[in-house]
Amino acid sequence: MVKYIPYILYLLLIGLHQVILKDWTQINATSINLPLMIVLCVSLYKTEITTSWFAFLVGIVISAGNYEMMGWQALLVTAIAISSFNICTHLNLESIFSKVLVIASGVFIHNVITLMMEGFDNFLIRAWSVALLGSIYTSLLAWLFFLFKDEKITYKKFKEIF
Amino acid sequence: MSWLSSLFPKQRHNVNFVIILLLAILLIVGGNPVTEFVSQVVHTSFYYPFFKIRIAIENLQDASKENEMLQQALVESSVKLSFYEEFLFENERLRETLGFEHPEGYRLLPAKVISVTWDNQPTIISINKGYEDSVEVNYSVVNKDGLIGKVINVSSDYATVQLLTHPANKVSARIAQNREMGIVEFDAGKGMILKNVPVQSEVQAGDTIISSGLGGIYPVGLNVAVVTEVIKQEEEPFCEIKLNSTVNFFTIEELFVLKMKEQW
Repeated sequence: MVKYIPYILYLLLIGLHQVILKDWTQINATSINLPLMIVLCVSLYKTEITTSWFAFLVGIVISAGNYEMMGWQALLVTAIAISSFNICTHLNLESIFSKVLVIASGVFIHNVITLMMEGFDNFLIRAWSVALLGSIYTSLLAWLFFLFKDEKITYKKFKEIF
Repeated sequence: MSWLSSLFPKQRHNVNFVIILLLAILLIVGGNPVTEFVSQVVHTSFYYPFFKIRIAIENLQDASKENEMLQQALVESSVKLSFYEEFLFENERLRETLGFEHPEGYRLLPAKVISVTWDNQPTIISINKGYEDSVEVNYSVVNKDGLIGKVINVSSDYATVQLLTHPANKVSARIAQNREMGIVEFDAGKGMILKNVPVQSEVQAGDTIISSGLGGIYPVGLNVAVVTEVIKQEEEPFCEIKLNSTVNFFTIEELFVLKMKEQW
């Protein structure tokens, strides 16, 4: 049971982001896609089954406000997570850049398909401002995350700068 | 789900995928009752606590804005209140002034103090009336308490008044009770004094000093001061009489220029 606690905390973090942090960190229409970022990070470090179940739950959580698309969203997030897992496994991605690229691609695909689900009005404009810029914004956060995780940036190093 | 996977150890991955797929299909084709129920569970579990936090934060922000607005309103109200208090005091002073009886043959021109020159105490003031209001040099200036001084300089819309506290300003005066005459002047060391009163005079503390009308500047009968102390020395022909002016020169605001009626 204890091994599920981190995933429950991730889901709570997603809830916090969707309710509070998303509005605070949004720049015009561009926002961070934290749920997908977390799912893709899990896919980079965990097993395929864990990834797929976690992605499925994240899909349900993020579509709770628009429950008519709940099944499709769960399927979409799971598909992206499994694809990411397989890409990382088969290509043996190790560098931060490649991981960030996987996250950027996954977020972009998710944003684009979510936009398609919502409709095709002003699609290109929204694909630019929401999907592409959103994936870049999310990638920046992911890049910082990997820098900390791989200890490229530590508190000690940060302190030494000053 | 490990129990389920253990049933098909070689197909572990596929079993999981099939279950996920089936659940997703259930959510897609299950319609609103299923998805609505799941949505409610998710909202209650993962969103509701943060909604409460968000509402609390928004309430705090609203309270902060409201607090800022209220503080601004409070400052504005305080300023208005101080204005109203000032108007109230002015109103009271003007009501008292309405009861002031001016000397016979003179009329009063109301004026306000616009500046004060100090030399330990106010000695010269400027008033907001000048020769456009027919004010001329040597006109007397009074308020409800008594004589204040005389006009020494006049411009188009303001005039300078030398107060009784100025050492150069001397008033020919009389003790109201015994009609003895003397000169009121201000000495930097002794304060306001009455000079030239002989030691034989029956002057005492509490007597009123009024203008005598001699000298041609100040009209007769204006309150000038009250005797506070009488010092008589045998070898001196005149006694030393200390006075306390009837006018408080530190608080003068509204005053009147005395003009003879034929000058109007």
